[in-house]
Amino acid sequence: MSTPDSDSNSNNTQAITGTVPEREPGQLGRLSAIYGRKLITVLIFVTVGFLIGPVLITFVASFFQNWTGILPSGGFTVQNWAQALGVGAESIGAQRGLGGFWTFVAPDILFILQLPGIADITVSFPFDIRIPTPIPVALGFSVLLALLGVVINLLVGVPIAYAVTRYDFPGRRLMNTFAVLPIVPGIILGIAFLKTYPGLPSVIALVLGYSLLKIPYMVLAVQSSFESMDLRSMEESARSLGASWTTTFLRVIIPGAKQGIISGSIICWTLAAAEFNFSYVVYSSGPRPFSLFLFENISNNPFLRAAAAISIYFVIVAAVTALLNYVGENGFSVGGVR
Amino acid sequence: MSTLDESSVLGRIRETRLGQVIFPTTERGRKRRRIVALALPFFILATFGAFIPLAKMFRISVSEEFLYAAQGWTIEPYRQLFASIAAFIPIIGTELSSTIAGGTEAVDDVYGATIWNSLWFSAITTVSSVILGIALAHGLEKYELPRKDLLITLISFPISLPGIVAAFMMIVLFGQTGFLTNFFAVLTGAEPLNIQLTGQPSGTVLAITGLFFGYLYSMIPRATLLLRGTYAEVNTDAEEAARALGATPMQTFRYVTLPQIRPGIVGACILTFRTALAIFGTVLVLKSLSVVTFRFDQLVKVGYELNIASALAGVFFIFTVLFTFLSLRYTSAEVAQ
Repeated sequence: MSTPDSDSNSNNTQAITGTVPEREPGQLGRLSAIYGRKLITVLIFVTVGFLIGPVLITFVASFFQNWTGILPSGGFTVQNWAQALGVGAESIGAQRGLGGFWTFVAPDILFILQLPGIADITVSFPFDIRIPTPIPVALGFSVLLALLGVVINLLVGVPIAYAVTRYDFPGRRLMNTFAVLPIVPGIILGIAFLKTYPGLPSVIALVLGYSLLKIPYMVLAVQSSFESMDLRSMEESARSLGASWTTTFLRVIIPGAKQGIISGSIICWTLAAAEFNFSYVVYSSGPRPFSLFLFENISNNPFLRAAAAISIYFVIVAAVTALLNYVGENGFSVGGVR
Repeated sequence: MSTLDESSVLGRIRETRLGQVIFPTTERGRKRRRIVALALPFFILATFGAFIPLAKMFRISVSEEFLYAAQGWTIEPYRQLFASIAAFIPIIGTELSSTIAGGTEAVDDVYGATIWNSLWFSAITTVSSVILGIALAHGLEKYELPRKDLLITLISFPISLPGIVAAFMMIVLFGQTGFLTNFFAVLTGAEPLNIQLTGQPSGTVLAITGLFFGYLYSMIPRATLLLRGTYAEVNTDAEEAARALGATPMQTFRYVTLPQIRPGIVGACILTFRTALAIFGTVLVLKSLSVVTFRFDQLVKVGYELNIASALAGVFFIFTVLFTFLSLRYTSAEVAQ
C-alpha cells in the first residue's frame, strides 16, 4: 500500500511545496477530521448570532417600556418610536427627532413708531414662530441627498469602469487600482473639505463627499457586469451596423450592464445614507443627514429611544437589502473604508 | 474672410499635441479620445473632491498662520509630530526626540502613543477577522448548510451599518444593561458594572475588549466576503484528489487549499487593515482607546490645532497609500473583484 502510493504522492505535492506531509495523521489531524466540520458550522452560527443578535434585540427592545436585566420588560409600547420620530406633542422628543424645527425667534421690540404729538407707539410681536419640519420632508431630504450622490457616482463611475475594462492603455492597471480603492478616509476628507471650501453649503459638500467616498463600490459593481459581457464584439457589431460610438455606448453597452448598474446604485445609496465620518465633520447647517440623527440619538438620548431610532434605520436597510436580493445579487461585493 | 481666419486658427490647434487628442484624424486617435472622455469625469471629481482639498490640507500643515488664510512656511508641526513619535520609541526615544525638537525639555509622546494604538489595534483586529473570515468562507463554500443564501445575506448585512451603529450594537450586547453582560452576571454572580465592556474608563482591558468586538463587528463581514471571492476560484479537483489519496481534512487544507488562497488572504488582510485604520464612529461612541482618527476629531473640534491635525492626516494618508501600493506590488496579494 505504501510504496507505490507514496511515490505518486510525493510527485503530487512537490509541485506545490518541497516537503511531503506525514502519511499518518497526528492527534490534531484526527481531531480535526472528527470535529472540524462541526466546529466551523458552530462558528458560523455563533458569528451570525453575534452580528444579527444585537440587531434583533435592539428592534424588539424598542417596543418595550424599560429594559433592566437580560430581557426587556414593561409591556408593549410605540412611544419610543414616536419620540424618536418626533411625532406627538412632546417638544423635547421632537427637537431631537429627525425633523426638528425651523425657528424664528422674534425680537422683543420690532420697531418703535414715533409720531409728532402723540406718545411713541411700540410695536412688538410676542410670538416666536416654530415651524415643525414634518418627518417625511426630513427623511425625504436624507434620501435625496444620498440619491444625488448616486447620480454623480453613475455619471463618473460607469465611464471609468468601461474605460478600464474595455480598453488597454498605458497606466490602465494603476487607474484601475486607483478607482477601485477608496482614496482617503472620510474623516480626513471632511477636514480637508472644511478648510478648502469654507463657504460651500453643507448640502453640496455632503453630496460631493458621498460621491467621492462611494465611487469604488459603483466601479466594482459595474465592472463585474462589464466583465461578463463580450464588450469588443458588441461594440464592433453595433459599429459595423452603422451606429456611432456614442450611440453604441448609450444604447447597447449601458443597457447590457443594467444589472451591475442597478446593484451598484443600491449599494452606493445604502452606504451614502449611512455615511457618518464625513458628515460628522462637514455638516454645519441645513436639514440634518440621517446618520447624524442616529449619532444624536445614540449619544444623548435614553437607551430605548436610541434603539427606536436605530430600528428605523434597520427597517430602511432591510428594505433596501430585500430590494438588492430581488434584483438578483447576494450580499455586497467588496468591503472598503468607512 | 472670417471663416478662413477661424479655420487657420483651428488648423493650428489641430497641429498641437492636445489638438490631436481633441480632433483625431486616425481611428487610433479616436480611440484615445474616447478613453480620455471616459476617464475625464472621474479625474474632475477626484481633482476637486480629493486632490485640491488634500493639497490645501498639506499647505495648512506647513504654514505659520492658518486661521483665516494659510500664510508663511514652517515645518514646526511636522517637527512636533515626529519628535512626539520619536519620544514614544523606548530606550533611544528621549534623546532622539530632543534632537528632533531642538529643545531640552521632554517631549510629550501623545502622538506616538496614538499612532502606535492605531497600528497594533488594527493589526490585531485584522488578523482576528481574517482568520475568522477564512473559517466562515470555508464553511460557507464547502459545507452543506441549511438556508445558505440567508446565512450569507445575514453575514453581509452589517457592511451597510455605520460605525456608530456597530458601537451601539456593542452597548446592546456588552453595556451595563446589555444582554450578554446580564447573562454572565446572572451566571457568575458578578455585578454588571464590573463586567460591562462599554462605558469603562478609556484604555482599560475591559474597554479595549469591548472596542475589539466593535471593530470585529464591522470587519468580519468584509473579510468574509473578500475571502468568499477567493474561495470561489479554488480548484476543487486537487482537494478531492488529496482526500482520495488519504490526506486528512487538515492536511488537505494545509497543503492544497492554503497555497491556492494565500494571495486572496494577503489581499483581504491589506483591505481589512485599511478599513480598521479608518474606523472612527465606533471609537467616537465607545471612547475606549485613543486612535488616530479619534485624535483628529479632538484636535479639530476641541483644540482647533488644525496644523498638527493636518500634519497627522498627511502622515496617515501617505502611510495608507504607500502601504497599499507597496504591499499590492511586493506581495502575491490579489484583491478579489
